[in-house]
Formats: sequence, structure tokens, C-alpha cells
Amino acid sequence: MKKIIHQKSFKEASLKTILCWLILLSAFFTASATAADEVIGYVKTIKGNALIVRENKVMTAHINSSILRNDILKTGANSSLGISLKDDTLIALGSNTELVVSKFNFSPAEGKLAIFLKMLRGSVVYLSGIISKLSPETSRFSTPVGDICLRGTHFAVRVEGG
Amino acid sequence: MLKHGRIFALIYIIMLLTACCAKKNLVVLLPDPDGKTGRIEVINQGGSQTLNEPNKAVAVKSSQTAPEPPVQLREDQVKKLFGETLNALPPFVAHYILYYKKDSTDLTEGSERILDDILGLVPKINPAEISIIGHTDRVGTIESNFRLGLDRASQMKHLLVSKGINENIIDVSSHGENNPLVRTADEVDEPKNRRVEIVIR
Repeated sequence: MKKIIHQKSFKEASLKTILCWLILLSAFFTASATAADEVIGYVKTIKGNALIVRENKVMTAHINSSILRNDILKTGANSSLGISLKDDTLIALGSNTELVVSKFNFSPAEGKLAIFLKMLRGSVVYLSGIISKLSPETSRFSTPVGDICLRGTHFAVRVEGG
Repeated sequence: MLKHGRIFALIYIIMLLTACCAKKNLVVLLPDPDGKTGRIEVINQGGSQTLNEPNKAVAVKSSQTAPEPPVQLREDQVKKLFGETLNALPPFVAHYILYYKKDSTDLTEGSERILDDILGLVPKINPAEISIIGHTDRVGTIESNFRLGLDRASQMKHLLVSKGINENIIDVSSHGENNPLVRTADEVDEPKNRRVEIVIR
């Protein structure tokens, strides 16, 4: 009798463990799915040729096109692109410019704040948003010739050649 | 500090590959829309320079040469260098969230301080437009929460007007309990949902 009870509780326990794992796994997959598709900003201004490269797919940028993490933004000659991110960061790309939004975490309620922009070439004007204001230590802007550390700010960068 | 150095070192490896043909690289600090100027530090393998005045610029030859000492640019020089890019910058928008005590139009202590930021910013944006949207948690009926949201937003409008902001630029509305910041079941008193959102553009 005792043995049977023991077995039953063991079964229950293993069932619980499996359930826990299933819940954990599904939570993990939904979390990573939303993270990958999450819209982090929008195109607001366009002149000439502007492209968004997403997972090796090249798309023409339009007003109100969504921007996702790891999108590569590119402009051609005599072109420009202006975007706003969800934390009110504003970014403008001048002609022949390439910029990647490598990291963007904006969950002030959970204390998750980080932004990392990687400029590869061209001209960029940047007006920092809430993330850089609340968390300058997790805000970074890199260029081929050095990093710009933000302290809640508006600046312009130009990187020639490339 | 050490941790910082390690992060940078990692990135430089990527940069060395892309920085082969740089000719003239320039970083310029610009004034913020509220008239103040922030501070930036330009750092690479060669050294660093700090900029903290409007239109100060630093040239950087390569990732391994230290950024040059800052020079002062005139506004027209900045426009000439960055005019087309500056023109592409979307219009400035600022968002603020202020939280309220339970079932009340009284702000939480922490949120009162945000008011000063708003009062400082508005006069510097001309012409400014302000939208105030009231929200509530899910305790109570949809109708009573719509009214509470509207009360919060209207009371905020009166507060801003009493501090000297023109009432004609302020628009007030309520989303009641329908637009929570944190999703909850009905009748849950989530503090992060008791709020007004203020958008200044």
C-alpha cells in the first residue's frame, strides 16, 4: 500500500516537472519570437533611395516602414532617411550612409534599457531618447574610427570613405 | 572601468576591418531641443576627447589615432557639413508617464518631479502641442474608469495651465482601463496602469 502511494506521488511529481518544463520552454519560445519581430521604430522622413536590409532581404524604405532589431539602414547618393525609435530617439542618415540598430531594449517597467547603434559610413545626426537619458552606461554608438559615449545628447557624425 | 576596456577592445577588431579608407571623420556636439547641451566622449584605441559645448567638433583620423583636440564650429559650418542630414531628422517628440495613487487623481511622489522637466521643456519648443491621455487600472467598471482617466488628464491640464502653460495647446482624452501598460485580469490594481501619458511635440 505504502509503495503504491509512493509510486503515485512520484508519477505526479514527474508529471509536474514535465509540465513545468513545457511551460518554461513555451515561455522561452514566445519570448524569443516576440523579441525578433518586435517593432522598435518607424521611418519618418525619406529622400531619394533608402533601403532596409533585414535577414539578407533588401526592402525599399517607405514612410512608416517598421524598423526591427538588427535592421541595416542604407541610403544612396543624394538621399536621406529619418527614423524615430520607441524611446523617442531620433536618427537621421545623410547620403551614402549605413547604420545598424544592433541593440534596443526599452522596458522601463522592468528596468531593461539598452541601445547600441553601429554606424559603418556616411553622415548621421542623432538625438538621444529616454534610454540614453535613464541609462547612459548602456547606450553606445560605434563608428569605424571610435565609439561615442552618450550623456543625453544631440550630435552629428561624419565618416568618410569605406 | 576594466569591463569597459574589454568591451571596447572587442569592437575595435570589427572596426579595423571597416576603417581602411577613412579620410575625414568628424563628430559634432549639437544643442538639444530644450536649449541645453549634453556631453559626449569620443573614445578609440588612441585615446579620448570629451565635448560639452554646442557645436564643438572633434576630428578622428583612424581608430588607432587619438581623437584630435576639439575645435569650435560656427552654426553655418555645421549646416554646411550636415545640412541634408539635419533636414532629415524627424520632428522632436517627448513622452512622459506620470503615475497616480490608487483610485485617485493624486500623483505619486516620484512623478511630481517629472512635472519640472515638462515645465522646463514646453516653453523651448515653439509652437508646442501637448496631448494628455488618462489611464487607469482595472478596478471598477469600464465607465467609471473612463471618467477617472478623464479626471486625471483634466486635472493634469489644470495643473500645467496653473504653472503658466497656454491652455489652447493642450488636448485632453481618456483611455480608461482599455490601454494598460501592464496587462492584467479584471479588478487587478496594477500601479503601473494608473497613469497619465503626456506627449509633447
